[in-house]
Amino acid sequence: MSVREHHQEPAPAGAAAAEEAYAPLLRALAERLEARLVAAWEADPGAGDTLVCVACWHAPGAELRALAGVTRTTVLRAGEALPGQVFASGQAAWPAEAAGDDRAQRSAAAAAGLHGAAALPVTSERGTVGVVELLAERPFAEPAAAIDLLGLALGQLVERRRAERAGHAALQRHRATLHAALDSVVTMDHEGRVVELNPAAERTFGHASADVVGRDMADLIVPPELREPHREGLRRYLADGASQLLDRRIATEALRADGSRFPVELTITRIALPGPALFTGHLRDVSDRMRATAELRASRARIVEGADEARRRIERDLHDGAQQQLVSLALDLRLALRRLDAGDAAAARELIVEADGALTTALAELRELARGIHPAVLTEGGLRPALRGLVGRSPVPATVVAVPERRLPASIEAAVYFFVAEGLTNAARHAGDVQIQVEVIDADALGRLVVEVRDDGDGGADPAGGGLRGLIDRLAVIGGTLTVISPPGGGTTLRGEIPCGS
Amino acid sequence: MPGRVLIVDDHARFRAIARRALECDGWTVVGEAVDGRSGLAEAQRTEPDLVLLDVGLPDVSGLAVSRELAQRAPHIAVVLVSTHDAEDYADLGAANGACGFLAKADLSGLALDALLGR
Repeated sequence: MSVREHHQEPAPAGAAAAEEAYAPLLRALAERLEARLVAAWEADPGAGDTLVCVACWHAPGAELRALAGVTRTTVLRAGEALPGQVFASGQAAWPAEAAGDDRAQRSAAAAAGLHGAAALPVTSERGTVGVVELLAERPFAEPAAAIDLLGLALGQLVERRRAERAGHAALQRHRATLHAALDSVVTMDHEGRVVELNPAAERTFGHASADVVGRDMADLIVPPELREPHREGLRRYLADGASQLLDRRIATEALRADGSRFPVELTITRIALPGPALFTGHLRDVSDRMRATAELRASRARIVEGADEARRRIERDLHDGAQQQLVSLALDLRLALRRLDAGDAAAARELIVEADGALTTALAELRELARGIHPAVLTEGGLRPALRGLVGRSPVPATVVAVPERRLPASIEAAVYFFVAEGLTNAARHAGDVQIQVEVIDADALGRLVVEVRDDGDGGADPAGGGLRGLIDRLAVIGGTLTVISPPGGGTTLRGEIPCGS
Repeated sequence: MPGRVLIVDDHARFRAIARRALECDGWTVVGEAVDGRSGLAEAQRTEPDLVLLDVGLPDVSGLAVSRELAQRAPHIAVVLVSTHDAEDYADLGAANGACGFLAKADLSGLALDALLGR
């Protein structure tokens, strides 16, 4: 026997609910059988071989109230004391033999002038599930033949309470799950009315659950042109059970309280409960994903377009530059030959000098063009010599502060090289009369490379400016990001961060 | 047989060299133009026997200029020139009213005579 801690009561379907459920029965029993105290004991759901007092009715009086208090906090093992014995045997003890019973309740009972006791098992299809104990001033007479039925009736009460508790616990679990869910969950009844919005749905749609319960769900969150199809689908399902929407993922649109629409992934399921149909809609706001997909698609298109544009530029550069020079060279040489044939050596010499000049220019242009396509020094010597060459040719004064010694994957070296090249071009174009510093930091521990092109100009560059789009795309291809730091008056830093493993 | 020629090309260096090469062969250069529109105006003004027309002009395509000339002044012969190979443009040139195509590097008075069949 032990004393129960009150805070272990399974609330709220516990103490108060049990007292309430049992009260009319216990009182009726007490009145009919002239008992002064009637206690209902149930097998502890947590430990099947112990009994706990779940309800206790008593007649008025301080001693009886004290006795009820003791009874309510008592826990009995099977076989212990009168209720425990009846619980263990499954047989009514009517009247009971009070002698030899040593529990505290008994002495309190004696103090309250109670000398008669009786107990009967409470039974259900699970067997003995509890005990009803009665205490009276005088010993009880033999019970009526139908007393077993009383135990059975009380058993139904115990079972019902047990089912309620289980249902309540399931409901609590369900609530907690809905509450914690990141997806919006909207519960709707068979008439299409809102039963509940979980917190995620409240946030997503901008409606408080309490405000919208009972309202037509379609009017709240379904875009106008989809409302009638939604209602028709519900009608058809309820009529013949046919549904094209249940239990599958649908891409559609939903409506917020402010009237704005957003793309969602929706799954509708019917809740498996008896009674009128209940449905839950699980909705995931896929705006971000759609935006990311669209951005990815646009970025790919820009890269392809960029590559095409680069090829067009190369063709143009070749056509306008080296090709023209070589054409001139060919014509000059041919003319010179004709001058020589005509015996005019001086004129021929002049044409050959001109041709030599055209050849020198053509070679320089071809070199520059080849470097723009892919600098050979980068392939052969890596970033260090390539970046030094780049800043050396820069139209604005630039220095390389630091470059890692080690060679990096070709794609990363190329990305860094062209990042710096475009950074220098940008600075020359926008920053005017400035000094530029280029720094490549091998943040090995972080598994990334940080590239910075810094100028000491006026700052205030627009990070969303079109000129940086190409840089962003170039970095994105290798998983890198661009940060523009450009406070007014504080110069501009273009920082590329590139994952490069270790 | 050398005649009067108008050179339409946006590259000044090519214009200078073409002028020198053709004059060397006895042709008379009656004018130069740097794009399609001024080329058409110059052709109307100078009435040349031949227009040496670059395919890639900055304002309109040399092919369009050739078409226009063939319509407006069918007595003026048009020879298209380009840094590209003849294979790329010979057929296009014919389809657009030009009587021939020359790669720029092959330009000479003799080559023009051969193209014009004289």
